[in-house]
Amino acid sequence: MNGPFPATRSPRRLLRGAAAVLLALACLFPFAYLILLSLAKAWPFPDLLPRALSFDLWARVLTGPSDLGASFLLSCALSLVVASLSTAAGFVTGKFIAYHPARKKLLFLAYLPFIMSPVILGTCLMYLYLKLDLAGNAAGVALAQTMFAYGFAIVFFSAFWNPEIKALEDLVFTLGGSTFDAYRRVLLPVSKGMLLICFFQTFLISWFQYGLTLLIGTGKVQTLPVKVYDYVNEANLFYAAMASCLLILPPAALLWVNKRFVFNEMREG
Amino acid sequence: MIRSRHNSSGAFGMALFALIALLPIGFSLGYAAAYSVGLAGLLSEGFTLEHWARLFSDGEVGRAFGLSLYVAAVTVALSVSLALALLLFLRRPLKEGPLSYVIYFPLAIPATVAAFLVFQLFSGAGYAARWLLHFGVIDDVAQMPNLVNDPYAFGIILAHVSLATPFFILLFAQLYETEKVEALAETARTLGASRRACLYRVAVPILLTRSFTNVILLFIFVFGSYEIPLLLGRQSPQMVSVLTMRKYAMFDLTQKPEAFIVAWLYTALVLALIGWAFRSGRAGGRV
Repeated sequence: MNGPFPATRSPRRLLRGAAAVLLALACLFPFAYLILLSLAKAWPFPDLLPRALSFDLWARVLTGPSDLGASFLLSCALSLVVASLSTAAGFVTGKFIAYHPARKKLLFLAYLPFIMSPVILGTCLMYLYLKLDLAGNAAGVALAQTMFAYGFAIVFFSAFWNPEIKALEDLVFTLGGSTFDAYRRVLLPVSKGMLLICFFQTFLISWFQYGLTLLIGTGKVQTLPVKVYDYVNEANLFYAAMASCLLILPPAALLWVNKRFVFNEMREG
Repeated sequence: MIRSRHNSSGAFGMALFALIALLPIGFSLGYAAAYSVGLAGLLSEGFTLEHWARLFSDGEVGRAFGLSLYVAAVTVALSVSLALALLLFLRRPLKEGPLSYVIYFPLAIPATVAAFLVFQLFSGAGYAARWLLHFGVIDDVAQMPNLVNDPYAFGIILAHVSLATPFFILLFAQLYETEKVEALAETARTLGASRRACLYRVAVPILLTRSFTNVILLFIFVFGSYEIPLLLGRQSPQMVSVLTMRKYAMFDLTQKPEAFIVAWLYTALVLALIGWAFRSGRAGGRV
């Protein structure tokens, strides 16, 4: 309270408390609203709350084979593959770029897949994917998403590989260790936290991807974000809310577990 | 010896980089350029600048770029200002207590869901209209202002701001700690600076300077966003990504070259922005 921007007067403290409560409610509202909407059996206008709640939708997804259950599993599988590939590749390429004399120029190129609009780049890539028979299937979608997540992973790891890490690796070589030893005994243990964070971030890049999945998957690869849009277009709001819940609850739970750990490394170095 | 060991894994890294990123992007942009001047595609009849000329004459692309620039600029200005204000006002609650936990939750919301939520809340008979009706602010749904698919892109901007603000609050909170802003501001106070001077000459400039790359990235992301304007935008003008996808996916094949021209113009703009960030020496750090 004795900082340069202190709050000494009680009205200001009250205002601060009220603002904190409002901000917290604003953060929680989307989750509460979507859960409520997914449980609503009937919610006619202008009712403020649903007339009846039912676990039918949730039960159908959780207990039996359904479109949404299949989409959830497909999204999980795609995101796991994309996160694994892009984290591993980004780890190696990030090292190459970080130690390269033309680091800045290569990093500039690495930013491209990461920052370009997936839909715009996807339209240009489509011809290549059609020729390689990668359009309209999950493998093609995974490859396309990996390209974008890989760009993120390179930028992420290029800041990790610094002179201190290089000195540790050199020390292994000086002491007679092989490249394999350097990775197994030093580099991987030291970078375990960063690898986990990058895996989490790239998992989310894939998990949230809609436009590129729709384009490269030609509508046949029905991940959760594609399902949300399909249901919205069909005006099937309760199913859209259900699909949205499935889309946001797993990452929210992961964020809850890893909150400081994840974000501390996301900031600009 | 040591250098060669670094180089061996480096060569593998370069090969991956070229194979996964550079070659596909280079090829696809080359194909797009060839298509835009009639050198590729089903209807190609040799080199022509007709598609470029047609695109610039009808004004649709100009309006799309104008709308995207407007949405990106307003989103960046609102998100960054709001995040700065909230961080400086709610520093303690954001550091400890329940708010320090729940502020992370919005990071789990993708653009698809944000667009759906804004649509549900602010469309004509949405949840906001129900509350306004309940409290007697409006008497009829027709009195509800048009906040979705509106000419000022209110819905699009709101969805983007609601996604970006929590991220920037957390980013600024981290920078506030790592850059020791509090200690620097206290030093300034000791030297006679007013509270306002501490805020505007110490805290805000440090936070904005250190987050410069992230601000540029936000601008680029919003400029090229697809999911949110697809649901919350109007048929005309459309934002750049939506326009590109529409022109690409149309049955009329004569529209396809225009999709590639838009893609090229967008790529040029992104390259210019990132180049600017690199030249100013602020990019290249961690994201």
